[in-house]
Amino acid sequence: MSFSNPAHTITRWSVVGMEGMWVKMFDPPKETPATPDLMLPTNPVPEVLAAAGFQLAPAVPHTVVLELMHGVRLDTWDRRNKGMEFFLFQNPDSLGVTGDEYPSATMRLPQGVIFHCTTDGKGPPPHTIHWHGLEPTPMNDGVGHCSMELGHYTYQWQAQFMGTYFAHCHRNTMQHFEFGLFFLLLIDPKDAYFATMYNPATPIGHCRDGRRRTAANLEAFPQFTSFNANPITAADPWTGDPRLKFDTDPHAHTVAYDIEALWVLDDRDSVWSDLADDPRATYPMHGTRPGFDDNFRFNGQNSPAAPDDFFAFNDFNADYWYITGVPVETQKGGTATIAAGIKIPAALNSGVSGSQVSISALVGQTILVRCLCAAYNSTEMTFPMDVVVIAWDGRALGVAPFGHNHAYLVPAGTPIVQSTARRLDLLIRVTSPVDSFATVKFINTRGQLPGVAQEVVCTARIPLKIAKAVPTGTISINGGAAVTNVQSVTLTLSASSAAGAVTQMQFSKDGGVNYFAFEPFATTRTVTLLPGDGLKSMTVRFRDSAGNLSLPISDSITLASGSILINGGAAITNSRSATLTLSTALAGVTQMQFSKNGTFWYAWEGYVTTRSVTLTSAPGEADGVKTIHVRFRNGSGTVTAPISDNIILDTTKPTGTIAFSSPNPTGSASGTLALTASDANGVTHMQFSKNGSGFYAWEPFAAGRTVTLAPGLNTLTVRFKDAAGNVSTPISATVFRG
Amino acid sequence: MNMKRRDFLKLSATGVATIILSSKLPGLGVTNAYAADQTLEVFITDALKDMVTHNEINTAQCYFWIYRMKANGVDVPPDCPGPTIMALKGDTIQIKIKNELDEDHSFFIPGLFDSGVIPAGQTYEGTLTASVSGSHLYYDRLNAPVNRVMGLHGALVVRPTAPAPGLNNKITPYDNPSTHVQSLFNEFGSSDCWPGLAWEQAGAGTPPTADENAYLTGNSYAPPFRTYVWLTHQASPRLFAEVGDYTAGLDYPAQQFVEKFLRSPFSATRQNYNPEYFTINGQSGFFSHFSPSITPMGRIGEPCVVHILNAGLWTHSMHLHANHFFVTGLNGVSNENPIWVDVYTVKPMDRIDYTIPFMRPPSIPCARSIGMPDAPLLTAGGNPVYPPVQEFDVYMPALGTTAFAENGVTPVELGQRMSPLCYPMHDHSEPSQTAQGGNYNCGLISGMYVLGDRNTPGQMNFPMDEDFSMMYRNTRGIGGVAGESGTHPAPGPRPEPA
Repeated sequence: MSFSNPAHTITRWSVVGMEGMWVKMFDPPKETPATPDLMLPTNPVPEVLAAAGFQLAPAVPHTVVLELMHGVRLDTWDRRNKGMEFFLFQNPDSLGVTGDEYPSATMRLPQGVIFHCTTDGKGPPPHTIHWHGLEPTPMNDGVGHCSMELGHYTYQWQAQFMGTYFAHCHRNTMQHFEFGLFFLLLIDPKDAYFATMYNPATPIGHCRDGRRRTAANLEAFPQFTSFNANPITAADPWTGDPRLKFDTDPHAHTVAYDIEALWVLDDRDSVWSDLADDPRATYPMHGTRPGFDDNFRFNGQNSPAAPDDFFAFNDFNADYWYITGVPVETQKGGTATIAAGIKIPAALNSGVSGSQVSISALVGQTILVRCLCAAYNSTEMTFPMDVVVIAWDGRALGVAPFGHNHAYLVPAGTPIVQSTARRLDLLIRVTSPVDSFATVKFINTRGQLPGVAQEVVCTARIPLKIAKAVPTGTISINGGAAVTNVQSVTLTLSASSAAGAVTQMQFSKDGGVNYFAFEPFATTRTVTLLPGDGLKSMTVRFRDSAGNLSLPISDSITLASGSILINGGAAITNSRSATLTLSTALAGVTQMQFSKNGTFWYAWEGYVTTRSVTLTSAPGEADGVKTIHVRFRNGSGTVTAPISDNIILDTTKPTGTIAFSSPNPTGSASGTLALTASDANGVTHMQFSKNGSGFYAWEPFAAGRTVTLAPGLNTLTVRFKDAAGNVSTPISATVFRG
Repeated sequence: MNMKRRDFLKLSATGVATIILSSKLPGLGVTNAYAADQTLEVFITDALKDMVTHNEINTAQCYFWIYRMKANGVDVPPDCPGPTIMALKGDTIQIKIKNELDEDHSFFIPGLFDSGVIPAGQTYEGTLTASVSGSHLYYDRLNAPVNRVMGLHGALVVRPTAPAPGLNNKITPYDNPSTHVQSLFNEFGSSDCWPGLAWEQAGAGTPPTADENAYLTGNSYAPPFRTYVWLTHQASPRLFAEVGDYTAGLDYPAQQFVEKFLRSPFSATRQNYNPEYFTINGQSGFFSHFSPSITPMGRIGEPCVVHILNAGLWTHSMHLHANHFFVTGLNGVSNENPIWVDVYTVKPMDRIDYTIPFMRPPSIPCARSIGMPDAPLLTAGGNPVYPPVQEFDVYMPALGTTAFAENGVTPVELGQRMSPLCYPMHDHSEPSQTAQGGNYNCGLISGMYVLGDRNTPGQMNFPMDEDFSMMYRNTRGIGGVAGESGTHPAPGPRPEPA
C-alpha cells in the first residue's frame, strides 16, 4: 500500500442542507447593520480626551470612532529596500498623532461603562474588530463568519473585568493581525477617567484616590501594601463626590501601581510583507453551487489567483522583531538591547502619561508590566529579579468568586512562556537598585517537542533600571523663628517619596552624629532643645515604606534665655514705682525695650540689669495686675522673643471694726476683743495700742484677741495691714473695769 | 422552492467517530458512538483523505497512515485520527492490532499500553485497561515522530467513576484533583456566579423524542456528557505522499522527515514540504466549527471539559471566544493553579484541558458589571439587552440570499440567523488558520455555541433555524426524528436523495 494505492479513501463531508453556514465560514457577508439591542453609551474617555486636547470633541457623545485599515510602509532598523508594510487602525478624531504609528494607539476605558465604537471598514477589503478577551454577543464580537464583516457598524459591549486585552481585525487574520492591524486594549477601574472628568486635577488614568490601580489578589504578597482586600461585591465605601460613587467598590481587589510598562512582543516576516501586501490576498469565494464549485484559488473580489500567486500564509518565518514598536536591531538568531528610557506618548495611550517600554523606576515602587504576545513566535521572558504574576488574559488570579487559582511568584531567571495573543500582568518591586535587563526570547513554534532544544530566533533585551529612591522633606523649628528663649520648640515636618508613603522619621540633636530611634512620621512634633544658650539644631531623616532613607535635613534656632523680675519677683506692691531686675543670654546684647501692654513698645534703651519703673501707664489708673514686657537686642539686630513679669498693685487701705465681746463693765482683769477687717488682696496683720500708748508689734490678723485690763476705763486701738503693706486708719473700743 | 433542509438529515457533518470502551458510560449523547465492550480490533492501514477545500474544481487531498478500528466486530469508518475512545476508569477490553502496512508499527499509550513492535502483516493481541483518568494520546511510537505524524494517533479519554473523596465533592475529570480544581468543579451549578448544572450533571426534562421541536420549547433536558476532545494535527500532503511511496519495508529517515516538515525553504506557491492542513479531530474550518461533537454547544449553566491533545509538531495558541476557560489539566496532572484565560499554549505532544464554565458572555451589559449574572441593563428602548432578542432575529446574510444546489437549478438559502449565539475557537498562531496556504477560516478552528440559558426564565433555548437544528440534533441526538437521529460521517460531497 502506498500513496498511489491507499487501502481507504475518506471523502469530504457533505454540506448539503447547510450551505449557508458553509459559505459564511470562508466567505462572510459584508453588511452595515444597525446595532441590535442598542443602549445609550456611557464611556467617558472621548470626552476626557477632548477636554485634554488629545482628540476632537466626539461627534456622537461617549462614542469612539475607528477606521481600518491604513496601509503604510515603514522603514526597518536596517533600512531594507522595501521597508515593511503595516496595516494600522486610525482614529479620525485623534489629535497629536500621525496615524502612521505602530503599534496603533492603545485604547483604555473604565470597567462597567457601555462602550460604543463606530467603525468603518475602509480600504480594499472588508474588516471587523474583534475585542480579544471581551465577550459580548456575536455581532459585537467582530468575527465575520459568526456575524458579519464591515461595512459600517457600532460595536457595543461592557467590560466587566479589569485587565489587559487587545483588539484586532478578524478578517484574513493570519495576514491582517501579522501586518499590525491590532491595538492594545486596557480596562481600568470603574472610577478611572470619571475621576478626571469630575476633577480635572486628577491626571488621566488615575482613580479618584489619585492612584493608578489594577485588579489583583495579593494576600500572599504583603510587600504590595496598597492591595485592597475588599470582596468585589462589597458596597462602595466612598463618601466624596457622589458622581464617583459606584454600586460596588471599584477598588475592591486592586493594587495601586507607580509605574506601568506596556510590552507588545511582535515579529514580522519581510517575505510576507513583500509578496503578500495585498490585504485581500488568498480570499476564497463561494461558488454558484456551494460545496461543489467554491473557488479556493481566489485573491479577492473578481480576482482569480494566477498559478504563481502567493499562497503561503501557512509558512511564517519571522525576520524582524519589535518590542512595542521599538525594533530589536538584530538579524535572525542574534541578540539586541532596546534603548533605555523609552516612554509611550500620552496621545498613543488614551491620554495616560508616562507609561514605559524600557523600565526606569525607583526602589520600592510598584511596577506593573503588561505584556501582550502579538508574535506568531512563542516567547520566553525572564527577569533578573523575582516577579509576581497577578493576571493572565484580563482575569486577575485569586479574585473570588471566580478565582480558583492564585497570584504566584516567578523566581529570577525562570522563563515565563507566552504564545500568540496571551497577555500577562506582573508586578515588580525591589528593595535594592537594579541595572539590568528583562530578556525576551522569540522561539520558532515549529518543533517545540519535549526534550528537543528550542529554536531561538531572536533575543531581545529590555533595560530595567531601578535606582535607589531618596525621600525628600523639610523641617522647621517654631515656624522658622530665629530665636527662642525656651528649650521646648515645635517642629513642622513634611516629606515625600517616589517609592511610596513616608512612614518613619528619626531625629538628631548633634547635627547627625547620633540619632534617636525611628518613630512614626508626623507633620508636627514638640522637642526639647539641648540646654545652654546658643545656636541649636534639629536634624531629621525620613524613611519611606520601601525602606529608602532621606539625606539628613536640619533647621536651627538660637536659644536665648532671659528674665525679668519686678521687685525681685514680689507678688504684690502698694507702690506705683518698682524696680526691675533684668538679665538675658542673648549674645552681644546692647539694648532693651519695654512695653506695659505687649503692644506699644517704648523706645530702645541701653541694656542694664536694674531699672526703676512706674507700674501704671496713666495717672489715676486703678489698682490691679500690672505687667512689664521686655525684649533684648544685640548689635547684629537679633531680637529675643518678649518676656514679662507681673505684680499686683494695691494702694487701698484695709477697713475694719473693733468691739469688746466680754461684759462691760467688768470685774475681770481681762477682756476679749472681736475684730473684723477687709481688703481687696486680704488683711494680713494687725497691731494694737492701749490707753494711748504706742502701737505694739504687728501680729497676724485674728478675729478675736484677749487683752489685759487695768482698773478703770480701758481704750484699745487697732490698725490693720494688707498684703501690699497698706495700713488702715486706727479705730478704738473701750471697757470699764470696776 | 428551497429544498427542505431536513431532507438531508443523515448527510450532515458530525465528527471523528467515538468508541465507547464499555457500555457503562452514561448519557454520552453522541449518537454515532460505537460500543466496544467485547473486542476492539485495530488495523494499521492507510487512506487518502479529501481535505476541507476539496471539491469539483479544487483538489485537496492528503495521504495518511491510520488506525482503523472495529468495535465489537462493527466497522468504524476509517479516518485520521483514529476513533476517539471514551472509557470509565477501570474499563478493560481485549485488543487486537494488525499491521497491514509494510514496515514495523506499534500502538502505544504512555503509562497505559505498549504493543511493542508489530512487524508488517503481524497481529498483536493484548488487554487495554483504562487505569488512569484524563486524556491520553494513543500513537505509534516507532520511527518517531514519523509514524505518529503520518496519522497513526488518536485520543483516549478516561473518566473517573466517582468524585474524589470528600464531603460534597463533585466529579472532576481527574483521579487526584488539585484543591483549586476540585473547588472549581464544586462551584459549577451551585454558586452565584455559575448557576446551572455541575459538570456531567444531567438537566431535568425529557430526553429526545420524535418531536424535533421538543428541544425548542423550553425543555430543560441536557445530556450529562459534556466532555470534548480537540486532537490537533498538521498535515503535509507532499511529504506524506513521499513517505507513503518510500521503499517498502524501510523506514523513512526521521531526521529528514522533521527537517522537511518544519524547515522546508519558503516557497510562495508551496512547492515545499510544509504542512498545509491544520486539523482538529481530523477536520478543519467549517467541518470542525459546525460539528457538535467537536464544538461545545450548550446552554449557559452547562459547563464542559475539552481535552486538547497535540499529535503534531507545531505549537498552537488556542483562543476561545465567549468565555474564558480554566486550564485544569496539564499533561495528565490536575493543575495546581488553574489560571482563567482566553488563550493557552499547546506544544507538540501536550495534553491540556480547558474547562469552560459556559457562563453568560460577560461583556453583555448587566447591572454591577463584575462578571456575575446580574440583571441585564436596558436598551435605549427600555428592553433588557439579554437575552439579545433583537440580535436573534438578525440574518447575516439576509434571508433570500441564495445560491444553487448541486444541480445548478434548485435555489438554496444562504441567509444565516444570529441565533443560537456563534463563537469561534481558533489557533491564534494564525498560519494554522489556512488551508492550501490561504483560504482563511479553513484551518484549525472550532467554536462554542450558546444554545440557550438555563438561568433565564422563559429563555431556556434560543431560536434555532432548521439547518442548525439538523446539524445539532444529528450528533447530540436532541429532538431528532425517531429512527434517524443517529448518523455517521457523511459519505462524501455528493448528497443522497432524501
